Amino acid sequence: MGNRTEEDYNFVFKVVLIGESGVGKTNLLSRFTRNEFSHDSRTTIGVEFSTRTVMLGTAAIKAQIWDTAGLERYRAITSAYYRGAVGALLVFDLTKHQTYAVVERWLKELYDHAEATIVVMLVGNKSDLHQAREVPTEEARMFAENNGLLFLETSALDSTNVELAFETVLKEIFTKVSKQRQNSTRTNAIALGSAQAGQEPGAGQKRACCISL
Amino acid sequence: MGAARGRGVGGVGGGPEAEAPEVAEVAAGAEAAGAAGMAKSRGENGPRAPAAEGSLSGTRESLTPGSDAAAADELSSLGSDSEANGFAERRIDKFGFIVGSQGAEGALEEIPLEVLRQRESKWLDMLNNWDKWMAKKHKKIRLRCQKGIPPSLRGRAWQYLSGGKVKLQQNPGKFDELDMSPGDPKWLDVIERDLHRQFPFHEMFVSRGGHGQQDLFRVLKAYTLYRPEEGYCQAQAPIAAVLLMHMPAEQAFWCLVQICEKYLPGYYSEKLEAIQLDGEILFSLLQKVSPVAHKHLSRQKIDPLLYMTEWFMCAFARTLPWSSVLRVWDMFFCEGVKIIFRVGLVLLKHALGSPEKLKACQGQYETIEQLRSLSPKIMQEAFLVQEVVELPVTERQIEREHLIQLRRWQETRGELQCCSLPRLHGAKAILEAEPGPRPTLQPSPSIRLPPDAPLPGSKGKPKTPKQSQKEKEQWEQAKASGQLDKLPTPSQAKGAAAAGDACPPQDVLPRDAAHQDPALQDSASQDPAHHRSQDSVHHCSQESLTSQESEDTYL
Repeated sequence: MGNRTEEDYNFVFKVVLIGESGVGKTNLLSRFTRNEFSHDSRTTIGVEFSTRTVMLGTAAIKAQIWDTAGLERYRAITSAYYRGAVGALLVFDLTKHQTYAVVERWLKELYDHAEATIVVMLVGNKSDLHQAREVPTEEARMFAENNGLLFLETSALDSTNVELAFETVLKEIFTKVSKQRQNSTRTNAIALGSAQAGQEPGAGQKRACCISL
Repeated sequence: MGAARGRGVGGVGGGPEAEAPEVAEVAAGAEAAGAAGMAKSRGENGPRAPAAEGSLSGTRESLTPGSDAAAADELSSLGSDSEANGFAERRIDKFGFIVGSQGAEGALEEIPLEVLRQRESKWLDMLNNWDKWMAKKHKKIRLRCQKGIPPSLRGRAWQYLSGGKVKLQQNPGKFDELDMSPGDPKWLDVIERDLHRQFPFHEMFVSRGGHGQQDLFRVLKAYTLYRPEEGYCQAQAPIAAVLLMHMPAEQAFWCLVQICEKYLPGYYSEKLEAIQLDGEILFSLLQKVSPVAHKHLSRQKIDPLLYMTEWFMCAFARTLPWSSVLRVWDMFFCEGVKIIFRVGLVLLKHALGSPEKLKACQGQYETIEQLRSLSPKIMQEAFLVQEVVELPVTERQIEREHLIQLRRWQETRGELQCCSLPRLHGAKAILEAEPGPRPTLQPSPSIRLPPDAPLPGSKGKPKTPKQSQKEKEQWEQAKASGQLDKLPTPSQAKGAAAAGDACPPQDVLPRDAAHQDPALQDSASQDPAHHRSQDSVHHCSQESLTSQESEDTYL
């Protein structure tokens, strides 16, 4: 994936990071958007986000990655968080089984608030901590398969698979969007969703559009 | 991105063969024995395993760009350094933040020393006669809080303002009891994960398992035991951390209690309903304060929770430059949540309140970004405080709006799940709400002397052993029966100048080996005022209250 300048993009895809407190959401965000990692990144309170523009084929995609607190009680204030999201990374810490055991609850939360067509990837983070693993890869992979989720294990610390994780999700979203476009072109209709209408910017126009699937 | 980063699709990434970092787990099981639980520290000494294409841009995202590699290297191993050898090469600013890190500020305006000393002396007088000042000259207290509490007395003043000190006196031994109890493992687990994530660039909290993190753990754990139905909410950690920067754990605990129960009730409870309501109130109030900003946020459909959550839940401790944080907290403890609202409104107004500023905010994302990278000018101490003090937003308006939003909530979402008590708008309200009789606030001595030792500069005769023994017994009795308020108030010993804290002899208790009395230990050890023991004689307050002291427009 190459990088484009921030101003120049065709699409904006909103992707949310969800999962238990401490699994590494904030560092996945900083690793992907700024190539940074910190052992002591602050507890996320409220909402954080960051962007990165990537190329998928000839299209410039601005990935808008949202991050929020993982603690249970913050679930009460997240509907604004999910609004308009087309992708999600459901993150667990593969060295803490408890964070994996609650994945189904997170899925439910996700589907309660987001579009049903949202692209979801299950991410087992902290793969660098080999000796401390508590969640077998196969187990998580099977769960993902059975639930129609993408799956990868990552390490925000050493960068393993971080690019790939986001890239895969964005590609998947893009594929869906393209299909939808084809369909709408055929029926000559413009797809409207909860976000703004998706429209290809005209030549020379730099405004991007928020896509809903 | 291509080949260099490719790790193969799916499954475990075949990462570069870096040295496997050690995971040092410090056993957290000492609670039953009474020791504070230690933070689990992951002693990874080689965090930056080389990636395929070369060195990564750095592990400390908030270091100013361009810090040289040596500094970055040094700082990257911060977490695993012991406190003892950590700090020789790091420069710390006057608030304790490592220079170059996010919290550290550049050159600050310094108050002239004589002014500072005079303010300290006035504050000492107020603190020594708190009840009288609160009853008769509360406006003066408020004014002085607006001017900023002298750093040497801030910790103490916050305890007095918040009622934390009273709480502590009313509950002797309670904190110790909570401290020694094993906590609920579910909360402890979450708390431990947060210990190294609060102000990691502050010298107090930088070391894993260091005293700062330990105390943070103790305070947060104690709260989950004190209010098990509330448990732990992550925003309490930065609040507690700020308190701990100014006072010991027990005092910090009681101030935290006051914040969670009196100033911001419901903020940290399950369902987080209070913060949602306040978001709506804030937005509503914005309409009058800055119609331009209000309209923009409306049109962009930006939920207040997207920008005000961290502001309000942490009382701006994570948003403003540190000198501004302290000024805001000084006013907040005195006047309550309306200060928080005013700060929010000022920031919104100046960030989004004019067409030029809105040019950069074409969309939802850009707008929120603007609110997250506020101009230093509007957050600067002098400017911000001035704006806050002058903004005509009152408690009554807030309460009125609260009712409106509450009704709207009930119509659209049903009843509130958590019923918090109504909040109290500042120090005076808290004081008045205390069920009497209250113990008269006794100033706590900085130095404890045996009861018959003459105080330096004291004009009185030393008490006879019989007298002091009687007093000691009285005190012990009163304490045992929980009737501290029935003690005779100390007579005003003129000229007593024990270590900068006008301390009438009756208050001084002999050190009792068998009975450590935490209630008497003040944060005075952090009080540099005690170094100036003989400098000035502190007259006791009868005079000050009625005197015609020319009020300090400057001071």
